[in-house]
Amino acid sequence: MIIPRLALRTLRREWRLPELRTLMAALLLAVVALGAVGTLAARVQNAVLMSAAELIGGDLGIDASTPLPPAFVDHAKALGLHTSTLAEFPSVAFAHDRSQLLSVIAGDGAWPLRGKLVVTAANGSSHNARAPAAGSIDLDHRALVALGLTPGDRVQVGGMDLVVAAQIEQQPGGSGLVSLAPHAVMALSDARASGLLGVGSRARHRLLVAGGVTDVAAYRSWAKAHLPGDARLVTPEDVQQRLAIAFDRAGAFLQLAALLAALLAGIAVALSAQRYARRKTDEIALLRALGASSRFTFGSLAWTLALPSLLAAFAGVAIALGLAALAFAYAHNLLPPSAQRAPMPFGPAFAAAGMGLAVLVGFALPPLARLKAIPPIAVFRRSAMRTSRRFDAWYLLPVLVALGLIALATGSWKIAGVLAASLAGAAAFTALLTFTSLWCIRRYAARLSPALRLGASALARRRGLSLLQACAISLGLTALLLLAVVAPALLDNWRRDLPPDTPNWFVVNLQTPQRADVRGALAKLDATRFNDMPVAVGKLVSINGVDVESTPFRGRDVSQEASQQVRLSWSGALPPANRVVEGRWFAQDPAQAEVSLDVAWIHRFDLKLGDTLEFLVGDRHLDARLTSVREVDWSRFDVNFFVLLDPAHGQTLPHTWIASFHLPSGDAHALAAFSRDYPNLSLIDVDDLLDRARQIVGQVTTAARWVLAFSLLAGALVLAAALTMSAAERRHEAALLRTLGARRAQLRMAALCEFGLLGAISGATALLAAAIGGTWLAHSVFRMQAFAPPWPQLAIAAIVAAAVVAALGLVGTRGVLRTPPLQLLRR
Amino acid sequence: MGKHVAGPTGRLDILDDVSLEVNVGETVAITGASGSGKTTLLGLLAGLDLPSRGSVRLDGHALEALDEEARARLRLRLVGFVFQSFHLLPALTAEENVLLPLELDGAPDALARVRAALASVGLRERGAHYPYQLSGGEQQRVAIARAFVHDPRILFADEPTGNLDHTSRDGIADLLFSLNREHHTTLVLVTHDPALAARCARVHELVDGRLRVHAA
Repeated sequence: MIIPRLALRTLRREWRLPELRTLMAALLLAVVALGAVGTLAARVQNAVLMSAAELIGGDLGIDASTPLPPAFVDHAKALGLHTSTLAEFPSVAFAHDRSQLLSVIAGDGAWPLRGKLVVTAANGSSHNARAPAAGSIDLDHRALVALGLTPGDRVQVGGMDLVVAAQIEQQPGGSGLVSLAPHAVMALSDARASGLLGVGSRARHRLLVAGGVTDVAAYRSWAKAHLPGDARLVTPEDVQQRLAIAFDRAGAFLQLAALLAALLAGIAVALSAQRYARRKTDEIALLRALGASSRFTFGSLAWTLALPSLLAAFAGVAIALGLAALAFAYAHNLLPPSAQRAPMPFGPAFAAAGMGLAVLVGFALPPLARLKAIPPIAVFRRSAMRTSRRFDAWYLLPVLVALGLIALATGSWKIAGVLAASLAGAAAFTALLTFTSLWCIRRYAARLSPALRLGASALARRRGLSLLQACAISLGLTALLLLAVVAPALLDNWRRDLPPDTPNWFVVNLQTPQRADVRGALAKLDATRFNDMPVAVGKLVSINGVDVESTPFRGRDVSQEASQQVRLSWSGALPPANRVVEGRWFAQDPAQAEVSLDVAWIHRFDLKLGDTLEFLVGDRHLDARLTSVREVDWSRFDVNFFVLLDPAHGQTLPHTWIASFHLPSGDAHALAAFSRDYPNLSLIDVDDLLDRARQIVGQVTTAARWVLAFSLLAGALVLAAALTMSAAERRHEAALLRTLGARRAQLRMAALCEFGLLGAISGATALLAAAIGGTWLAHSVFRMQAFAPPWPQLAIAAIVAAAVVAALGLVGTRGVLRTPPLQLLRR
Repeated sequence: MGKHVAGPTGRLDILDDVSLEVNVGETVAITGASGSGKTTLLGLLAGLDLPSRGSVRLDGHALEALDEEARARLRLRLVGFVFQSFHLLPALTAEENVLLPLELDGAPDALARVRAALASVGLRERGAHYPYQLSGGEQQRVAIARAFVHDPRILFADEPTGNLDHTSRDGIADLLFSLNREHHTTLVLVTHDPALAARCARVHELVDGRLRVHAA
């Protein structure tokens, strides 16, 4: 008990020490950064899965081409799950001599189990609904317009005369992203009675279940083992795979950014701990001389630090949860309404507290552990405290902690190694630049003004500390500049690539004889940039005569990918947004069919030029030789294909056409008549998709900027810790200069020069690193041909950063500059 | 004048009714036991601190009437210092350390004067050396060069030989007194060392905060 009591007494005396405060602030920052980002990422992931359940209409679905055996419903009921059965099919509706192809959902009275079906009745009131009763149908706005109907009218579907009960406002499965045909919802019993689900229909049958998480999981594993041949599970993970991947990537990036902040805070921890250890040296030597064991002295030290650390970690958890809640409130409009109620997970914030404490222990322990080795004789001879300069294994601890945390965040030791090496490389680059700048300033610029010389020599005097500060500040700043300045420039470039008349509608299933008419009809609607390409749907059968479904590629089983449908097209000229990176574009009328593939296919199937690919389209087999590899810019919303054939061979295949065009937003209603005139065509609206993509990129960028602000804050903490560490030395210098007659203004000027230089070096280094990093990103990741770093903005940001560092340094040394000169005589 | 501070048990009188007049060119030693107030007196004379009562006049200027900035200007113009622990800035070379007072004053021919000052203390060739590359005696020579480089009217020396061995001690003392003569500087010296004190024209001893003329 004596140790905790001593620790408490020590703490009462020492909690005001600047190094202890910096230590705790660094821990707090690490926990807040890691906790806020971890919590937000986990909550968004929950929300994405919740919204997926809403899209499916239940927690889990089973899709099949025929109704499922009754055992599936029975087993679900036995587990206490709710069930609903539905069928989805296309059907043409008739009314007032008009016809319209509809995408119909026929559901039982329980549908939907998750998500909402919102309808507006004839009296204009909106409400949540279930599938309509037998004899009625709900239609969406496009269907009503196309057929010239209002609720209360009658419509013929599948030979049945139905009453239009209400207008669909929102329905599960209709996320609004892609709407192939106007939607309708009717009763399952009507669909069965009409024969729409009979033999030969194109209906897909779906069983939905919903209930408790463990029950659903149990049902899922049972169903997986009993699935009939053509049935497949529809899980939230599948449905939201793309969105989840986008959020996962954003989340992983933000988590790495938070980790950078935590590790920079670790440097502040290390500096503060070193200062604290130095302060405790005499006390520990005295205690040792008085007979205290090294275990006792180290134990009381550990207790003294553990108490405020735990407090700081808990405070960090609370702040992180608050910030995550705020950020979620800010970003929630990216998610569907029901997902906005995703519960706040508490695990990640506490995990962050653990990680923050790991950073504290990893970075603070090495200097403190050295106190254990202080011999009692040190009370007489300070020189006895100096240990030899042998390698100290303790200093591997922070490296191990950093590596471990990065591995934890990335899930791979290899990536952790690469990232840590990159970070170390960036730090070494920064250190080299800083070192060179210091040398140049000291050698040349110092002749210009005494204040500059004093400032530069102050930096040179504490070279190690200056390098550390400059590295920490410029690493934080580089990350911030990359996100705050370079990312918007990259985004602008992307937007410029997407001009206002970017195609926002696609037409699928266009038949060859319809091409000219459709083009003319769309031109009358003021549609622009009409472009169509042939499309044949087939299958990849073999590569160099080897069946693809039975061949593993690069050790991966790609049989599932290989069994999927492949859309093939052909073109005489290289389409826009395509670039041949290997091989040559098609020869004129080649004797053997030639094929050009996107690089993704080359990697997926381990292909090389000259390989022969066999495709099956309808009943036609086609052997094509791989003659070129293309890079396609998929971020442009043009019609593009992974597989292109030479036109001479392509056009002999059975095919339809796919077209894209631009129609100004708000003119979509004009398409209703068009859609009625060409009922076989499916229209896809990608405006929403475009807007959503822009919105997600924009919000993720903003979020990342906030997270990276943590890195900068960590840089400022390193500055504060370095100031604390050098405070005694600075006080001595200030006292000496004051004694020699220096005016306070002169000292202030020297300090301004010192921190201005530090800021300028950090800013310039960060500017250079951000420009190099941005250019690399533009070329290697975003595949932009012409990207010039936004120099003026970068320069302004770097100057502002330098000014902020100078101001922080001045504020931090304000007390030091007031040191009374008499102190010098007392030393 | 007198100087007192507030202590945990009440007022603590450090200097009580001290009167001292030092004339131009004089050499004065102040001796006394540890804690007798020698350093406090030196600080007051040099304008590093202000008395609680009474007045200190330096070259005709009443220090208590000046603010700290004005006193700093006065020190820069009139005063030189030599300290027991040298107080050289470790990251500056010997030359740069000596340059400090001239730089603060913005003196025009600073570098030439610094080199002359270093030559006068026998360290012409050591200008580019850092303090850690110099012995204790050499460091104190650099400090003496710094003290004289801007031709101060009065030099305050606080135990200038206190941190030196026996051999260096005499050399430094000789140098200090010879430069003092050369520059016609007034010297006020605080020391424990009776031999060093004896080289001054006047010796005062501080006992219980009061100044006594010890020897003439």
